[in-house]
Amino acid sequence: MNRTQMTGHAAGAQSPDPAAVRALQSALAAENAAVYGYGIVGAYLTGSMQAAATTDWVAHQVARDRLEAMLRSRGSQPAAAAAGYQLPAPVRSPAEAVALAVTLEDRITTAYLGLVAVSSTAIREFGALQVQASALRAAAWRGSTVPFPGLPVSVLAAPPRPGS
Amino acid sequence: MAAHPTRRVVLAAAAALPLAIASGCDGADVLAAPPSPAPDVGLLRAAITAEQLMIARYSAVLARARGAGTPAALAAALEPLAAEHRAHFAQLRSRLIVPPPSRGGAPSPSGKPAQPAPAPGGAALAFLRAAEQAAATAMLDRLPRASASLAQLFASISASEATHVPVLDSILLDGTGT
Repeated sequence: MNRTQMTGHAAGAQSPDPAAVRALQSALAAENAAVYGYGIVGAYLTGSMQAAATTDWVAHQVARDRLEAMLRSRGSQPAAAAAGYQLPAPVRSPAEAVALAVTLEDRITTAYLGLVAVSSTAIREFGALQVQASALRAAAWRGSTVPFPGLPVSVLAAPPRPGS
Repeated sequence: MAAHPTRRVVLAAAAALPLAIASGCDGADVLAAPPSPAPDVGLLRAAITAEQLMIARYSAVLARARGAGTPAALAAALEPLAAEHRAHFAQLRSRLIVPPPSRGGAPSPSGKPAQPAPAPGGAALAFLRAAEQAAATAMLDRLPRASASLAQLFASISASEATHVPVLDSILLDGTGT
């Protein structure tokens, strides 16, 4: 299966699926927050850490543009970015900047898992590759891996059971 | 001779039937029309088998590392990755609500690796690295046919396996494994 072709198809496809549009808008909101957040992350870092933050910042801008194009191709207006975002925690040091990057990537990972749940195979594929990308960035910032990137603990604790 | 084309048509029609049913479930309201559990069971079994293999591969490399008296640092670096595969296995297994008919019971993480693990060192790390990459890709290939919630679990596990690759690379660069 050629992934480039499939995700290219996703960007150009016309689909009226409202669930897909909602999931794309949620991912876009998370990307807009990440683009804002990485602007702060990079300001508190130096050297190779700052270079890594810049690389990730650009990756999120590219992903944001991609999501906006996917929404427009489905006849939906992409939601605009907010002028500012409330940070999950104050950032005053390199360590706190790295913690913010981890939080941003974790949220992005969860948002892209929303794309994996829609019926369009092309959007699922795109979402899954973005889940991989954000999990890789999160692991690099965190310095360790997690077994289930993006999945809330509640989902893992309560798998579906018959009759429940 | 004439029977062959007829037989092919019948088989093709039978093969097309589940697809038609599946596409009928692809409406806007996914919750109102859950897909038949049958495709998910097959996908789950395949994913469970894949995780059993990963667990077995790590076990084999770790066992050979202990036998060869390689530094404890290698085992310490590999063990968290093996633990994540055990978590994948447990989570996948918890979602399998139909016992496999061929064995009549639950699979356990005791599968044998398809090929023997190489001796500890760079070759073993490269072996695990290739296995992680293949497992991550195979997990993605299961997405199109999976139900929404299972597709999310597969995508998350695939991402976890993708994050193991740079960890194995860094172990190799550190020289821990050699």
